[in-house]
Amino acid sequence: MSVNTESSQSKKRLEGLLNNLALRWYLFKRKYSTFSGLKQLLLRIVMYLLVIGLAFVFVYPFLYMIVNSLMSNSDLNSSSVNWIPTELKFENFSVALDLINGKKTAEKTFEKFLTETLEADPDASMFKVRIDYVIRAIRIWFTDRKYIVNSTFVTVLATFGHVITCSFVGYGFARYNFPFKKLLFGLVILAFIVPTQTLIIPSYLTYSNIKWFGGNWINTYYPLIVPTFFGFGLRGALYIFLFRQFYLTVPKSLEEAARIDGCGFMKTYWKIVFPLAKATLVVAIVLSVVWHWNDSYETGIYVQTPSKQFLPPRIKSIISAANALPDQQQEMLRQLGLEDGEDTLNNAVVMAGATVISAPVLLFFAFAQSQFMQGIERSGITGE
Amino acid sequence: MKKKNGKHSLTLEKRNQLKGLVFVLPFIIGALAFFIYPIFFSVRISLAQEIKIVGMKMSGWTFDSYKRAFIVDTSFLPEFKDTVVFTLTRFPLTIILSLIIAILLNKNIKGRGFFRVLFFIPFLLGSGEVMQQILNQGVERAVLNINDGRIIPYNVLMYFGATIMDTVQTVFGSLVTILWGSGVQILLFLAGLQSISPSLYEAAKIDGATEWEIFWKVTIPMISPMMLLNIVYTLVDSFTSKDNKLLGYIRTYGFSNNEYSYAAAMSWVYFLFIALVVAIVFGIMKKYIHTNEIEEVRKRERKHRVFTIEKAPRRTFE
Repeated sequence: MSVNTESSQSKKRLEGLLNNLALRWYLFKRKYSTFSGLKQLLLRIVMYLLVIGLAFVFVYPFLYMIVNSLMSNSDLNSSSVNWIPTELKFENFSVALDLINGKKTAEKTFEKFLTETLEADPDASMFKVRIDYVIRAIRIWFTDRKYIVNSTFVTVLATFGHVITCSFVGYGFARYNFPFKKLLFGLVILAFIVPTQTLIIPSYLTYSNIKWFGGNWINTYYPLIVPTFFGFGLRGALYIFLFRQFYLTVPKSLEEAARIDGCGFMKTYWKIVFPLAKATLVVAIVLSVVWHWNDSYETGIYVQTPSKQFLPPRIKSIISAANALPDQQQEMLRQLGLEDGEDTLNNAVVMAGATVISAPVLLFFAFAQSQFMQGIERSGITGE
Repeated sequence: MKKKNGKHSLTLEKRNQLKGLVFVLPFIIGALAFFIYPIFFSVRISLAQEIKIVGMKMSGWTFDSYKRAFIVDTSFLPEFKDTVVFTLTRFPLTIILSLIIAILLNKNIKGRGFFRVLFFIPFLLGSGEVMQQILNQGVERAVLNINDGRIIPYNVLMYFGATIMDTVQTVFGSLVTILWGSGVQILLFLAGLQSISPSLYEAAKIDGATEWEIFWKVTIPMISPMMLLNIVYTLVDSFTSKDNKLLGYIRTYGFSNNEYSYAAAMSWVYFLFIALVVAIVFGIMKKYIHTNEIEEVRKRERKHRVFTIEKAPRRTFE
């Protein structure tokens, strides 16, 4: 009985589906059977082909990177393997990570630490030793990944500075009249046009002779972070412009209502106007994060201490390892404490390193993309 | 400073001005510290006769560094010319291609959001080290590969000869790099296209305009401000990009050879050229830019119309 009803139901469903398809086909025929309809259809097809073709061009570097990072040596050398590796080789990633992070200090230090403490004080309570152990473990875990930590630290702080200050200054330019407003806004535009490279030499000399924060800012992160809190830094002027354009579209009556309710001008800004700029905020954050993460010009000049380096330039160490002679490669692997395989250091490892380096930005964008695109549509950027 | 007078004695306008200054204050401090001071410092360095690096003491004034750039140094001007030609040939293509892509992405196609994200991926990989590494492997030539006999058969390739095909391949390669570098431009154009109100298009369609006419008479004027922003951005971006030869040249003088004053002089010559180009672009674009002035004119017209309509009925009643 139940089987019967089920089969009849599925039959009905199938019929409905077929009817639906037939109707659609009929409508499709009617719509496109005329000459102009046909022309429209052809245009649409051409448009889709164009978009898909262009999308392929745009995704190509990404695909190339991912696919090559998973290839084994034989796949890289064979001419029949273009896109689909015969086997997925995930070891490339671990080798790349080890090359990026440099020499591992963690495990050896742990052993040393344990033996040392127990030798010095055999009666030490195991609990205390363990607490120390955990604290050290965390610290060492981070020092082993110092490049990732450095990059993240500077990117987050600089982006924070940009967003806070540029929105603030942009509001001033959008809402208030004050003496020299035009001149100051001209300065914003000029700051956007003047390349960093023109000012890098005097800036470098200034930072090296500065007196605040312990003097000599070279080889610290101050030159990268402090200017962003004053609306400068990496393309800071652009964000001021973006926020100004947005605040111009906010109706004034909102702030007037707040003022009538007894809200001071600072509070009005932080509690009422600033939250409205969420869409522009996302745009500014994404742009700032991507630019700061990928920047290697300013970072390369201001920070030269090896231990304070950033993640993206580390790809050079992988490249030099991949280009080295086989003997040297074995030596490098041994130094890193890796087993020496037959085909470990090749272009696949370089691409795996590239994937690791760009992964944080790609993941971040994956999370932010829907809001980012909305922000682009609604941010009121009209360029006037 | 000004608040000595007491808050109550200030007029509303003065108080608003002060509020505005409070908002812009971080920028003023930043401009003085990180922009204006380095600019004057840089000019001073470029004109200095002698520089002591310890303590930054400079003495004497000469134009020797500038003279050296133009007269003595034989490799500065050729490098300069290469960079300028490279940039000026690429930037119109960047603008046109990104406008076309932005228009395509603004059309009503399925999976539009998805495509928009895809077109942004090269920007995320960035002009940084990663993209540089990918470019070093000649990937941009592999994207539109015409030499491997898949798109065009070998016989035809043989007919054209290797040199022609190679140049075509190089052109394709640089087109692909231009496309990869136009993420922000596409984005800005998309924002501009989104801000055009659909009623304009409807009105044009009702008046019987073709798609082509709509493009030239509605879309282009409406996004012309964005076009200016985009052109300036592209110019500045490509003049200051990482793989710029001239900047590398200046950098070797500044940081490897420690000839600060010569490096500063060269970068000033370079910047003045960029400023000149941007100024020319501004001058040309100014004529064609659609601004809010048109709306102001319309407002004035509306006022005028109201005035005449009010007056007209009275006359008829008399």
